[in-house]
Amino acid sequence: MNIGLDLGSRFVKAVFFQKGEMVEQRYYDTLEFYRHYGRKVNDNLVIDDKALGWPAYNKVVSTGYGRNLLQVQGGQVIPELRAHTEGAKYQTGLQDFTLLDLGGQDSKVIKVQKGRMVDFRTNDKCAASSGRYLENMALVLGMKVEDLSSCHSYPVTLSSTCAVFGESELIGRIIEGHSLESLAAGVNETIVKRVEPMLRELYSTTVIFTGGVAYNKAIRSMLEQSLDVKVIVPKYPQLNGAIGCATYIGT
Amino acid sequence: MGITTTIPAEIVYAAGWRPIDLNNIFIAGENPSQAVDKAEQAGFPRNICGWIKGLYTTLLESPEIEQVIAVTQGDCSNTHALMETWQCAGRTVIPFAYPYDGDYDLLKLQMEKLIKALNTDWDSVYLWKQKLDRIRAKAHKLDQLTWEKGTIDGKTNHLALVGCSDFNGDPDSYDLYLDELLASSEGQEQKGSVRLGYVGVPPITLDFYDYVKEQGGQIVFNEVQRQFAMPFDEQDVVKQYQKYTYPYSIFHRLQDMECEIKRRKIDGIIHYTQSFCFRQIEDLILRQKLDVPLLTLEGDRPGLLDARSRMRLDAFIDMLSY
Repeated sequence: MNIGLDLGSRFVKAVFFQKGEMVEQRYYDTLEFYRHYGRKVNDNLVIDDKALGWPAYNKVVSTGYGRNLLQVQGGQVIPELRAHTEGAKYQTGLQDFTLLDLGGQDSKVIKVQKGRMVDFRTNDKCAASSGRYLENMALVLGMKVEDLSSCHSYPVTLSSTCAVFGESELIGRIIEGHSLESLAAGVNETIVKRVEPMLRELYSTTVIFTGGVAYNKAIRSMLEQSLDVKVIVPKYPQLNGAIGCATYIGT
Repeated sequence: MGITTTIPAEIVYAAGWRPIDLNNIFIAGENPSQAVDKAEQAGFPRNICGWIKGLYTTLLESPEIEQVIAVTQGDCSNTHALMETWQCAGRTVIPFAYPYDGDYDLLKLQMEKLIKALNTDWDSVYLWKQKLDRIRAKAHKLDQLTWEKGTIDGKTNHLALVGCSDFNGDPDSYDLYLDELLASSEGQEQKGSVRLGYVGVPPITLDFYDYVKEQGGQIVFNEVQRQFAMPFDEQDVVKQYQKYTYPYSIFHRLQDMECEIKRRKIDGIIHYTQSFCFRQIEDLILRQKLDVPLLTLEGDRPGLLDARSRMRLDAFIDMLSY
């Protein structure tokens, strides 16, 4: 049994691989995880396997935001972008693509050629194109974040600069009387506008879309339309980094 | 005599003053972060360069610095307002401007005005040039050891070259400091898996060089710091500051970068820019023109690298090493 662990900003994702196959996956709220199952000892993250109820394992490979803060004791750590690259290759079988990962707090665009990462961009100190942004905006609209997924028509124009000021801007639009669908489509379009320059810079005809935001079908179709690319969402978009870790063991 | 960036140090020394680069005493001070806070409390906007804010406080808290030479063209236009706030606080400021196009006559005129303002003459300036050039030659040697032999690491290189803006106000001691570094370099060899170049203004983050080294990167080129040490054999002091690339157009700097990337066999470039700086726009030109992978790193306030910057450095070094 090998475990791949992605220590994300919103969720900790663990995947369990046996004989090259994923046999189980688990999600933990990041705060809960550190509160109950992990503690820092001399710059290492010591994980309480018993409390977690994890099966016996041979090896754990981890990655995540600020990975060097959190080296799992006794485990191996790989850089976050490498984990995502490996995960995308494993999940799609492709070797040439641009990977778009939109997670809880950050966005990453990685260009992969012949199976190797050749360039990347990440957002700078701003969560405007992240899952957290979508959650905030859905809350303002009184919708579930999942329901944003079906809204892509007649988007209202929203500034794509700030996840916090975006809220007050959205409230202004609500007052103007736009339909809920238009408002939600506007929120989705904001994400597309935000990542579009990075995707154009690192262009491939195939875009692999991962991270929690990849569940949003509207964003996916908007990306396809505005960039004229084929967007592939692998089976486990949110587990991509963890899968990259688990499969890294085998390489 | 405070200086806001590299100016012809020969003139200041010739006039009997000790130049003090405010950037160096700000960042090496006891609490650089607090210096930025204090400037913000005084009314400097949040979204203005941390160096400018640090310099503001540093000068006001250094009573031993009697006057300051502020570079009004060729560095940062925020300096205009910075020098005005200093003037408001009763400090004497002498402006110095590098002509954007590097025009010889205009540059000579600026130097002449500075010579006049400080009450010295060209002969004394040339005498000091000879002395400073001997010290600079040692800094050049140290730089060569960095990329050719790997016996000087990126951080030592950065510190030794960045200090050539003012020679710490004491050229004789600086000379000895360089001698010691050169002597201690013998026998040691740095071997990183990835050869990196650092371009842009010196970092405001305090652990950048250590972190890169820890991750297996070897910095073999510090672009602007190297320029501070005037890496050219030039007898005419005006031409020397004309060859100095930093104050002029990005294309001037690009030529130097392209040449050094080749010479030093650099695998990738880290382009550092300050948050809110116009040089962030120039990043796109570097991406277009340089033919090695480029990582853009942004810094705002003094302190340790944040998790985001570490993640980006990890990914960049990892990408170049496999």
